[in-house]
Amino acid sequence: MLWLYLHFHHLLLDHIARSREDQAPLAIISEPSRRVLQACPRAMHQGIRPGIPLKTALNLAPELVMVQADDEQQKRILEQQAQWLYRYMDRITLYPPDGLLAEAGSLRRLYGGLPQLREQLTRALEERCLNTTITTGSTPMAARLLARAGMPIFTGEQQLLKEHLEQLPLEHAGFEPATVQRLVRLGLSRLGEVAALPAAELARRLAPETLVHLQKVQGQRPDPQSCWQPPRHFHQQADFGLAVEKTQGLLFALRRILVELENDLLHRQQDTDSLVLILRHHQQAPTRMRIRTTGPEHRAEAFLNLLRIRLEQQPLVAPVESLELTVTRFLERHTPADGDLLGDGVDQEEAWHTLVSRLQARLGEQTIRHLAPAADHRPERAWNAREIRDRSRSTREADVEHLPLRPLWLMRQPQPLRVVPDTWFAGPERISGGWWDGEKVLRDYYIARLPEGQLAWVYRDCHDGWFVHGWFG
Amino acid sequence: MSDLLNSLLREARLWQGHRQHAISHSPEPTGFPMLDGQLGGLGWPRGALSECLLEAAGIGELQLVLPLVRRLTHTQRTVFWVNPPFIPYAPALAREGVNLDQLVVIETESPQDTLWTLENCLRSPVTGLVMAWPERLASRDIRRLQLAAEAGQSTCILFRHRHEANQSSPAALRLELVPGSDLSIQVNILKRRGGWPGQNCILPMETRAGQAGGDPSARILQGPWPDPRS
Repeated sequence: MLWLYLHFHHLLLDHIARSREDQAPLAIISEPSRRVLQACPRAMHQGIRPGIPLKTALNLAPELVMVQADDEQQKRILEQQAQWLYRYMDRITLYPPDGLLAEAGSLRRLYGGLPQLREQLTRALEERCLNTTITTGSTPMAARLLARAGMPIFTGEQQLLKEHLEQLPLEHAGFEPATVQRLVRLGLSRLGEVAALPAAELARRLAPETLVHLQKVQGQRPDPQSCWQPPRHFHQQADFGLAVEKTQGLLFALRRILVELENDLLHRQQDTDSLVLILRHHQQAPTRMRIRTTGPEHRAEAFLNLLRIRLEQQPLVAPVESLELTVTRFLERHTPADGDLLGDGVDQEEAWHTLVSRLQARLGEQTIRHLAPAADHRPERAWNAREIRDRSRSTREADVEHLPLRPLWLMRQPQPLRVVPDTWFAGPERISGGWWDGEKVLRDYYIARLPEGQLAWVYRDCHDGWFVHGWFG
Repeated sequence: MSDLLNSLLREARLWQGHRQHAISHSPEPTGFPMLDGQLGGLGWPRGALSECLLEAAGIGELQLVLPLVRRLTHTQRTVFWVNPPFIPYAPALAREGVNLDQLVVIETESPQDTLWTLENCLRSPVTGLVMAWPERLASRDIRRLQLAAEAGQSTCILFRHRHEANQSSPAALRLELVPGSDLSIQVNILKRRGGWPGQNCILPMETRAGQAGGDPSARILQGPWPDPRS
């Protein structure tokens, strides 16, 4: 069996560098020791090396963006990588904080050879600006050790793999530091030399665990791997290191995530109509936004336009430290039923969704509404307005013949009638109802023309008050 | 002649003295033969702004646009109502045969939002008609809307107060609506493309009171008021 291991050199750095629009040097620091753990190439160029104290680093590069090492966060980022890698390979095992194992024997057959597989992977990793070492190994442990030692061997030949493994320096062999020290004192420096020792002696003189480890590396002891299951939802996070104050900076990171979402939806063969965006601030409640489209959508550009409108409307309450985008609702992909074959014409359905989504993003969902009649005798309840969600449903054909004569304009609140109408046309139409829900209505409606020429729908209530309730516009 | 000049002539943007050209733009008939005749067969211009100037709502201004709304909503074009002064009453619209699925009511909060909304609606290919009741519009804003309507080839009708009549406006069609003596409405053409303005016509709108002429008081059973005939 052949295994493949991806070792990410500085996952956290790469992740933050991709979310940031500027080109500031980045470094990961360890809080207890106040020393630099990792530095990005730009920071390295300015003389910052892993291990130097924080003060020195700041003197070398005052604009340095410092990020605290956080294993939990790195584990989450690793999982994000697994999500897209899942399109290339199944049977992934996560090795937090910075590695990923996959079974390569079946992949070799799928891609038609190891070089092709490597090419595909390298291209995908380069697209995402991830510094990685990819290696193969005859056992999971061997692949992992080779990758972590930075020996980029990528072959299926067992003999070659074995030779490389034997050449592995002991400090990279994954033993306990005390064990390594004892072995070095014995005059051993390579893994091959340790493997040549008699197994029983090794277990007795050092520790049984050391033997177990060695046997796992060599494949003489089972080393079962538990497969990672991709989540059903789409979830991506962007961390900025230094808080972002401008919307533009957010859009930069969002664009990348949305492209990732578009690819994800493409692989799922599904669409979505709602995104949840969470902006996390420093010491403040996170901002939560829900972006909805009226129809199924998958294009990153369309989502980005909506997000841009929404972010313009809603100023940031505080600088943003990180953002999360989640999609939990997936819809069947919509196929235009009557689109023309060459796709020249404008898709009306799509244009409709684009327009309404844009309007909703800027004005809010409550302000754009459809109207419909409702079954009630009281005029103010004989209609309702509903949000626009999907246009595909068709309302029943109203029985036009039996509808009573009503004005085209209805007032939001009936207004007292202040002038005496000069002509009366029809009436009275008595409307009495609402005794069942406490909003009782007892009115006599008339149609009358006011002196200014307006045709009004007026009523008299049971207290002899006269009101205008609508206009025959 | 150059293409530019040809297109100007064809769309009647250039007025040629004595020659009155038939317009090749597919017009949107108003549904009132008398008004269509006065407008030279143009109807509501497509891809341009129209203005209706009136004193107060309720004089039959919606009846004037209702044939257009009815026709557009049944050909699956959307009709937008932006900031209507009152609630467009769904039962009445349904009774008039309007397809309510194609009707969208939008309420905006600020003038900037209104302008943005109008522009976006006008530019979209789904739009058939945009009706708007804007509070105040600068001439510059009307020009922007005019360009948007041209881009989207949609019809836009702005309902404005009558005192705007003496302000100049880039709209292609300007109608002044005055209530007539009975239920009719008098339409004065203040401006139109490709012809002289100044025509007027009186359109009967009796149907909105639910009757076709006759003695109005005959319909009233017995009111609480003094007898109108006395």
